[in-house]
Amino acid sequence: MNGSRPLRRIALALVAGSGLAVWAFPVLWGLLTSFKTERDVLAYPPVLVFTPTLDNYREVIFGASSIVPNLWSSFVVATAATLLTMLLAVPAGYALGRLRYPAKRASGFYVLATQMLPPVGLIIPYYLVLQKVGGLDTYGGLTVIYLTFSLPFAIWLLVSYFEDVPLEMEEAALLDRAGRLRTLWYVILPQVRGGIAVTTIFVFLNAWNEFMFAVVLGGNRVRPVTVAMFNFISVEQTQWARLAAGAMLAMAPVILIGIFAQRHIVKGLTVGAVKGGGRR
Amino acid sequence: MPRAAGRPALTLEAQERRFALALLGPALAVLLLTTTAPLVYLAWNSLHRLDLAMPWLSGFAGFGNFGKMGGDPRFWNSLLLTGIYTGSTVVLQVGLGLSLALLVLQIPRGQGVLRIAAILPIVLAPVVVGLFWRTLVLAPDFGLVDIVTRALGLGSHNWLGDPQLALISVIAIHTWQWTPFAFLVLLATLATLPPDVYEAARLDRAGAWQRFRHITLPLIRPAVVMVVILRTMTALSAFAAIFAATGGGPGSATEILNLYAYRTSFTELNLGYGASLAVVLMSITLAVSYLMFRLRRARR
Repeated sequence: MNGSRPLRRIALALVAGSGLAVWAFPVLWGLLTSFKTERDVLAYPPVLVFTPTLDNYREVIFGASSIVPNLWSSFVVATAATLLTMLLAVPAGYALGRLRYPAKRASGFYVLATQMLPPVGLIIPYYLVLQKVGGLDTYGGLTVIYLTFSLPFAIWLLVSYFEDVPLEMEEAALLDRAGRLRTLWYVILPQVRGGIAVTTIFVFLNAWNEFMFAVVLGGNRVRPVTVAMFNFISVEQTQWARLAAGAMLAMAPVILIGIFAQRHIVKGLTVGAVKGGGRR
Repeated sequence: MPRAAGRPALTLEAQERRFALALLGPALAVLLLTTTAPLVYLAWNSLHRLDLAMPWLSGFAGFGNFGKMGGDPRFWNSLLLTGIYTGSTVVLQVGLGLSLALLVLQIPRGQGVLRIAAILPIVLAPVVVGLFWRTLVLAPDFGLVDIVTRALGLGSHNWLGDPQLALISVIAIHTWQWTPFAFLVLLATLATLPPDVYEAARLDRAGAWQRFRHITLPLIRPAVVMVVILRTMTALSAFAAIFAATGGGPGSATEILNLYAYRTSFTELNLGYGASLAVVLMSITLAVSYLMFRLRRARR
């Protein structure tokens, strides 16, 4: 059991390498495919050396099957949902994590319970109501239903950040008669800036990636990019290279967020899991 | 909590209460309106016959929809598939994620690269993952997996068209996408464990397995339980990846309860029966999460 034995090191490197390959390879393969012609895609054995083409990207950006309007739809809905969510979740997370008031446990549990709801249970009533009021295929309808999964999630993530702020700072400010709202704004919020940023990233990412609500409640006008991916697949044929290019374009924002905010994402994931595990 | 001197405590407490209500009120009101009210409406609809294909038959049906499930083989099939899908994906994710985390912890360098690779599946939209696997990875003849099996002499398979293979495939897709979550959380948890406990155990000549069983496992149990809970919830409401890869098919080979409720409601337009299926799924989800939280508390 010594880490310096060469055989053991090689075995470990192999295991780690295969994990790496399994996770990264499908994405890299998709990236490669997006630069191929349809003919190169369907070559057997698969070609690794080929003349790269930008035709697929040209087509999905400027062509008849452009996904730019869909990227816009996704951006509008995800941004609106994120702003509304953060506006509501930051104060709620502070109250839930920091203040004392009656029925605190019950309200916390209620928020948690709403997070557990399977989306299919929500989409049926939303469909029926939005159909009646003409809310199908509108930004408003989609934004409101996105709150159902982003708001509980954001509140709980923020609670764990608010709990980390040292109590003394808050008390000192209150002793100075700073007032509760000013204390929250000038003393507490600067302390949880990082947590707010991480939460915002997560909420935006989840909204951007959402599919079930978008496919049912969207339409020809509001059609997020996750739904538009099906443009490239029909009964007759699948346009592999265009699908790959479209997917790369659609996923570029979240992949970039993932790589650059890597540390924060891991921390965000573990804050919920590790701290949640130790709390109650 | 020490109180400010010179002021009556009651006023301060009342002030805190009022402030909390003002901060929490809007969020709770929105949640009530956007989640609880629709659920009441869902429950109401589950008691109705509501078939958009045959609107003239609509009306109150009492518990008729729920009675119908008893004799609906597709319902029982979806229930069984939900159990298999959830159970196997959660076990696979935690097993693979924990093993990999334990191994990677011993690698002095290169953890960062692996962490970036692990982030990739997590940030991708499940629907894109499903489509990627359906085409680039699992398509007969041209998919990566088929290229490998053909090269190994195992022949070409219709990975998503054969009922049994299709179930295995959608389980593999879900496991591929979410094992990184378990891996990253457990790796971060393992990294925080105090090394001196291990030193003591090593001096006591405890074997690797004993060290894991009696030191590591109890220390990381809260994190493992939390991962299991979160992963179970995700698996129970899995939708987009299966929808994109198989659509629930072939036939109903990969139609977990979530997909059955969706297809009934929005493909067959039988919203009343779909609503009652959604109510069943919701009850299962809430019951499972309640049991798990109870379990978590009992273990402590």
